[in-house]
Amino acid sequence: MSKNVFITIDGKQISAPKGANLLKVARENSFDIPGLCFHHKLSPTGACRLCLVKVEGMRGLVASCTLKVEEGMIVTAFDEELEQTRRFLLDYLLSEHNDTYDNTYSDELRVLMFRYGLDKKENRFFKSVLESLNIKVDSSSPVLTYEPSKCIKCFRCIKACDEVQGKNVLSFNDRGINSYIIAGSGVWGESECDGCGECIQLCPTGALVEKPNRESINLDKVEKRVKTTCPYCGVGCQIELFIQNDKIVRSLGVEGVSPNDGRLCVKGRFGYEFVHSNDRLKTPLIKKEGRFVEASWDEAFDLIASKFLEIKEKYGSDALAGYASAKCTNEDNYIFQKFIRIAFGTNNIDYCTRLCHASTVTAMLKSIGDGAGSNPIEDFETTDCLLIIGNNIVETHPITATYVKRGAARGQKIIVIDPKWTPIVRYASVWLQPKLGTDVALLNGIINVIIRNGWHNPQFIMERVEGGIEAFNELDSLIKKYTPDYVERITGVPADKIILAAKLYARSATAMIATGMGMSQQVTGTNNVFCLLNLMLITGQVGRERCGIDPPRGQNNVQGATDVGCHPFMYPGYIPVANDENKKKVSMEWCVPFDALSSKPGLTTVEIVKAAHEGKVKALYIMGENPMLTDPNLNHTEEALKNLDFLVVQDIFHTETTKFAHVILPASTWAEKNGTFVNSDRRVLRVRKAVDCYGDAREDWKIIHELSNRMGFPMPIYNNESEIFDELARVTPIMAGISHARIELHGIQWPCPTTDHQGTSTLYVDKFNTPSGKGKLFPVDYAEQNERVDAQYPFLLNSGRILFHYHTSTMSRRTKVLRDFIDASYVLMNPNDAIKLNLSDGQKVKIASRRGELETKLKISEEVLEGELFMPWHFTESQVNRLTRDELDPYSKIAPFKLSAVNVSAK
Amino acid sequence: MLQEKRIALRNSGLINPESIEDYIQSGGYQALAKSLAMESSLVYETIIESGLRGRGGAGFPSGAKGKSTALTCEDCLKYVVCNADEGEPGTFKDRIIMETDPHSLIEGMLIAAWSIKATKGYIYIRGEYYKSIERVKKAIDQAKSKGFLGEDILSSGFDFDIEVKVGAGSYLCGEELTLLESIEGRRGYPRIKPPFPAQRGLWGVPTLINNVETLANFAPIILFGADWYKSLGTEKSHGTKIFTISGDVNKPGYYEVEMGMKLGDLINNFAGGVKGGNEIKAILIGGAAGTFASKKHLELPLDYDALKENGLTLGSGAIIVLNESRSVLDMLRSILSFFKHESCGKCVPCRLGTAHILSVVESLEKSNVGERESIFLNTIKQAEIMAKTSLCPLGQSPILPLKSAWTNFSDEIVKS
Repeated sequence: MSKNVFITIDGKQISAPKGANLLKVARENSFDIPGLCFHHKLSPTGACRLCLVKVEGMRGLVASCTLKVEEGMIVTAFDEELEQTRRFLLDYLLSEHNDTYDNTYSDELRVLMFRYGLDKKENRFFKSVLESLNIKVDSSSPVLTYEPSKCIKCFRCIKACDEVQGKNVLSFNDRGINSYIIAGSGVWGESECDGCGECIQLCPTGALVEKPNRESINLDKVEKRVKTTCPYCGVGCQIELFIQNDKIVRSLGVEGVSPNDGRLCVKGRFGYEFVHSNDRLKTPLIKKEGRFVEASWDEAFDLIASKFLEIKEKYGSDALAGYASAKCTNEDNYIFQKFIRIAFGTNNIDYCTRLCHASTVTAMLKSIGDGAGSNPIEDFETTDCLLIIGNNIVETHPITATYVKRGAARGQKIIVIDPKWTPIVRYASVWLQPKLGTDVALLNGIINVIIRNGWHNPQFIMERVEGGIEAFNELDSLIKKYTPDYVERITGVPADKIILAAKLYARSATAMIATGMGMSQQVTGTNNVFCLLNLMLITGQVGRERCGIDPPRGQNNVQGATDVGCHPFMYPGYIPVANDENKKKVSMEWCVPFDALSSKPGLTTVEIVKAAHEGKVKALYIMGENPMLTDPNLNHTEEALKNLDFLVVQDIFHTETTKFAHVILPASTWAEKNGTFVNSDRRVLRVRKAVDCYGDAREDWKIIHELSNRMGFPMPIYNNESEIFDELARVTPIMAGISHARIELHGIQWPCPTTDHQGTSTLYVDKFNTPSGKGKLFPVDYAEQNERVDAQYPFLLNSGRILFHYHTSTMSRRTKVLRDFIDASYVLMNPNDAIKLNLSDGQKVKIASRRGELETKLKISEEVLEGELFMPWHFTESQVNRLTRDELDPYSKIAPFKLSAVNVSAK
Repeated sequence: MLQEKRIALRNSGLINPESIEDYIQSGGYQALAKSLAMESSLVYETIIESGLRGRGGAGFPSGAKGKSTALTCEDCLKYVVCNADEGEPGTFKDRIIMETDPHSLIEGMLIAAWSIKATKGYIYIRGEYYKSIERVKKAIDQAKSKGFLGEDILSSGFDFDIEVKVGAGSYLCGEELTLLESIEGRRGYPRIKPPFPAQRGLWGVPTLINNVETLANFAPIILFGADWYKSLGTEKSHGTKIFTISGDVNKPGYYEVEMGMKLGDLINNFAGGVKGGNEIKAILIGGAAGTFASKKHLELPLDYDALKENGLTLGSGAIIVLNESRSVLDMLRSILSFFKHESCGKCVPCRLGTAHILSVVESLEKSNVGERESIFLNTIKQAEIMAKTSLCPLGQSPILPLKSAWTNFSDEIVKS
């Protein structure tokens, strides 16, 4: 903290931190100095010159946005000369400005125009120069329109793109009076602009305005602005929704709050259209004679309650199971798991986390005690070294990536390990491109180099690792054979890159790891993460600010759903179910008999499907999940779902899964309910109702609550979601100190055990959360994959996500802007392979694995190695999971989405 | 008979510019050896004592700039940058130095570098100066091979290297902070000042920026002493200055003379008088960012202060002579259109101002004679506000030719 100094502005004494921006300080103290190019998120530009002031001891007029506060500064902010000069400059600005206004954007220049009386043409001195300028509108972008006649050339968009988002797509074309903004080399729609809209948010005039709802939005008619949390990935960006006629018409990033400080990606800013889609489910549907028929809630509830009870009666509690949802709130999920446990009487509850970070969480729980990110998102910018492994961070966590790119601009060392090129490679110090499935060998190689060079941290190992030097020696003896040359032969990564990566990570003062699906979604997923944790523990790069491991979470509330108990082995707060003491506490809080709860750990996602296939699970209640696109080996999943006696799917749209349901219940989107999400850095964030539920749809928790009643397992009456949270806080020690009231303005990071606790931004500062309080090494040997290429299936297929779509794309493909960017499936193939197979770019191909086949289009790209392919899995017309297998990681039961042997043929 | 006094141009035309041996034979690199034997602070103190002022146009005391850079931090990374982006219309003195005696620049830079303990230097040369670029690069290679550049120079333990950067045609990149942006690989936009380069310059470290001519004076000052240099010129403007004379004169060219030479003497004795037997009408001193003098100023001594007292500037030393047949208004239009063309557009007053004042001056002829005075005075007022509010020297410059043209040629402007 810098010390405060005293300055004087127009005779008023003000205390401000030394070095603070003078314009900011003046404005905070009610001196409304005009200024258009300054924005608190950007470096000062000094372009508009409207914030000129006089400072004693300085010559002439000085731009206050470019001055730092110093002790004793005497500032004149307003006098006649300054005001006249400002009016003169505004008059100048207006002479190159088209001041028509359509009420679709906020306009800071317009406000000043009125303030200085320049709305009246007779008060203006300068003739317009607009006509002499050769400028034209660029509306080629899917998301925005650039209107140069409204551009005041303040640099805010350029800096928004560069300094804030790290993308650097925008610049000025031409010079002086003729300059105007361009994206890339001239045409917005052909540039690398990915539509995040940061430039729109920071544009002070109508030069950059978003396209969606441009025709209908009228800022005077916006009824309310609702602050809430983005429904897409796990970053948890804070957004503000503009509501007009009970519809969302705009989404802005909320400035000044974590985790995003106003930044959004294309999905967060434009991906809300699905809420008002005509495809929404609006009434309960019951399948009668193979057709879905609209039904009343009463009819649906009665049918479901009777069927569930009947199956429970006939086959026992464990014949029922539930899929919770990472898209739903903590309150929804808490009520859901409570329902499964008290009404079904089973622990057969799981959700998609089993398909994404289950292995990460399993390894982290065993090794360091918590399955969540150890550091706040801000550390991605400030750490000295960041290891990004199996994580396409720019596309899957675009706002986390902004922190990384800003870090790179400050000189952060970035190591990328990924078999496929991803955009963050552009910012990397080194990129290691291992063959698919060889991560254990590669990480052991890095550890080998570290130990051979003495770059490990013996003091940390002795003090904070279980077994100390002995455990370390055990690891050392296992990894001895993983010399850089040996590892190069297995992974294809050149030895010198392995050595460089080892050096950068181990020798940086601070270092963090960001691990993703590439590591976790493998048969060796848990082992992969064990290797990462070994690396982290022997170098001591954990337990401090800017040091640790963060697995950015894929869905808005994937973290929260597990936190609040949607886990087959654990109650809310990671409390094991197979423990009578725990069961007793929970049963008392829930006011149910001790024996009503099952002590038996439940089945995981893929196991539930297997059990259904085998006829052991008879009824399934799915809330907001779409296993018919997300599960591995979909042909098998399809058979399993068909084999169920009774399937209830609660969702906002028809999905690939609802087809197989007996009853479909219409649920609400995030914009239609109150509650909380937990983001990737354990921040509990508010979700607020912005619009009414669509049709007869209801909030998820209310549906479950009523169903529980009808089944004879009434839950307490909750007047609102805040009361549900209070109950969940009582059974979830890590959130015990949190309530809706406490997180009105800013989220709180768990653990937060008491109501006066500020939350925890960095984990493991004093100890790990294991029984011994120490970190545990798990030496792991490299084993070859069972799934291998052969003459019939000569390629390894990798799968993943892209920026513009989201998971099964039920939401993202119902948003025009996102479809405009991309709306079709493809497969990436190395050019050399394409030549060998005589295939050309854009042609239709068939891809087949030992399990199934699909059709897609070929995209020739050097992003993948020879012999490897990559496909995004969002597109229902080319279901990648028809090809994947359900061989599971033995520890976490995660499925290996990242590696399937396939062949490719022309179609 | 009036004589040139060549210091910066001491070897020009006398030696083979592509031969370091020639330079050494004529006393070259002796000042470097002498400097390296001195306390580094004594070097800038000597420059301060000599009274040398920046010859690029601003006339800031050179030694003071060095001292301030040196004292920003000790033992930290520092740079020396030579501004060789000679873009002021009518100015070609730096080109002559680089083409005819590149080692005088390199030696000057080495001395400047030692005085502030900089380890790296950049020479930013105007892109069209092909020959200068070639000769300076060659000279750098020669100096390296002789051990004047590189590591442990003359066994002193001092390391210094020079890199040439080539400009791409922007006038504004001759502005020192914009020049730094350009070296850093960014677009040529002016930086916010403060911080000054002495505190935070190239890549954020203390940087000493000097013009070619300024640096070319360093070696003689070190070799012959501050007193010697001070003895030249006038009481307040010491030493010599290279003037580049063009326009309506019989012998256009470059002439290095002692400060204080009369303007008329320079034109008549050196430049051969006005061409075509015409009378002199106006003299534009200092280029586009310069001022219009008239016949009545021919007796003025060319030094910083005498010119300033008469509302004129010495600037870069460009002298453009206009005979009776020329129109001052035409010249003014041409200057203002140059400013409009070169304005980067970053700050509002310069972006709009350069366009507005040009259009007013362009339309002057079409307006009523009776209105012209008030129109012109209004334009001056605009240019004054531009000067007061603009971010960099470009927007602060149009007032100079406008105001001096009005002061000295108002009759013509109103009537023509």
